[in-house]
Amino acid sequence: MAQAATSPELTPQQGSRNLPSIANANERSDLSEEVLRALETYKKKDSPKVVVRFKGVGNAPIMKQNVYKIVATNRFQAVIQFLRRELGWQKGEPLFLYINSTFSPAPDDTVINLYKSFATEGFLIVNYSTTPAWG
Amino acid sequence: MADYSTTLFRRLTWEGTVPLEIRVDSKELPANSNRGLECYYIQAPRVSYLPLIVPEIRQYLMDVVFDEIAAKGLKEEEWWFESEEGTLLKWHWPIGVIYDNHTISTSIRSPPVPSTSSATPMRLILHLAAPPNDKLFLSSTIDSCKQAFMNQLKEADFIRWGNTRRMTSLRMADQDALWEGIREHSFDEYWRVASKLMPSTGPPTRPTSPPVGSSLSRPMSADGNVPDRDGAYSVRSVPVRMYLPDGPVLQELAPPLLEDGIPNTVSQFLSTHLPLLFPPRPPPPPPSRLNPNPQAPQVPELAYALVQGVVSPPDAELAWLGACLAGADGWLNICIGIIRR
Repeated sequence: MAQAATSPELTPQQGSRNLPSIANANERSDLSEEVLRALETYKKKDSPKVVVRFKGVGNAPIMKQNVYKIVATNRFQAVIQFLRRELGWQKGEPLFLYINSTFSPAPDDTVINLYKSFATEGFLIVNYSTTPAWG
Repeated sequence: MADYSTTLFRRLTWEGTVPLEIRVDSKELPANSNRGLECYYIQAPRVSYLPLIVPEIRQYLMDVVFDEIAAKGLKEEEWWFESEEGTLLKWHWPIGVIYDNHTISTSIRSPPVPSTSSATPMRLILHLAAPPNDKLFLSSTIDSCKQAFMNQLKEADFIRWGNTRRMTSLRMADQDALWEGIREHSFDEYWRVASKLMPSTGPPTRPTSPPVGSSLSRPMSADGNVPDRDGAYSVRSVPVRMYLPDGPVLQELAPPLLEDGIPNTVSQFLSTHLPLLFPPRPPPPPPSRLNPNPQAPQVPELAYALVQGVVSPPDAELAWLGACLAGADGWLNICIGIIRR
């Protein structure tokens, strides 16, 4: 990986073991407008909302309203905090959240990512429990 | 049994390591520390996690750097890492992902590093107090890291097969063996169990194109042409995450085969979901008398895809990558770097 690259046209397709950014080390220049615009676009926060349906498991209290629209770029952490607030949960009181009765997502994953992969009939189904329920 | 090349690539992935330089934040060094030595170098497995290397770092610091009395006041559960550029490093991300994510984020920030120093370690700052827990999301304990790992495996299982039966039908001892495999960095211990979860590899089955001369109504099993139920090309979707420089992390369904039965590739997937960075190549113009074999027009190359530290060829098939180059948590992580001109 540390070989010196001489060809500025070196691209990943040509089987180089260098990273392209390293291959072009001698050609310092700023990122193109095109790339900056692309990165900004994929970072945008003004995303649509998605519908989350909460389902209590076991002894967990039932919510009067259990369907909410949530900003899609929120992290799952925001969903956890929202639910704790809705249930009036105190700090330290255990609450376990699952998707589709199977797994707990990483709190830094986004709602949109989970929705795209796991939505059922237009809902992201979030199960909640006061004790570990799945796994 | 996995075939030779599958095992080879799984082992190469497993044995992959990254160089890290870990330095205690100089403002936080306890009194009477042995200054000048507060730097620790480690070649860490890509499939490992930061909480698993903390004991080794602590041992070094206690033995060599910290004053014995001052060290008594340190609480290990308050330790946390950030990159030299100030990015918080998450406890539950595989170290290989942290490293590759750093590589691509550097690709937009600084002037490219000279090629002679490309093996320079990633520099980590170790803080000894006041962890920003709301941004680290999970605690630094090994148990919390294990829980996160198990849940990532389950999530990947669900994406692949539409349920988590493969994971949940494992005996508890086998589930624990997956994590022990990571802790001990034991390929054999991990793969003894992981082979029950991960898809097998083999040639893609293409139900739309039966062999020449065969009857369309003939059952697929007649000549060994059985669609492999556990095969990499039979999954519903490959568990894939795309990491962009300085974020975000994007997740999209990645069917192993496209509608026409052709294997889905890295370039196809990226030009579908990140067309601004991977512009799709338009079809070639129709042949004419002057140009009987027209080529598709060139598109600018703006970005590259990094998988397990390797620049992925555009034609690499997602199904194969998912079976051979996924992380130990089952996820295929594609880090997107920017090509600088």
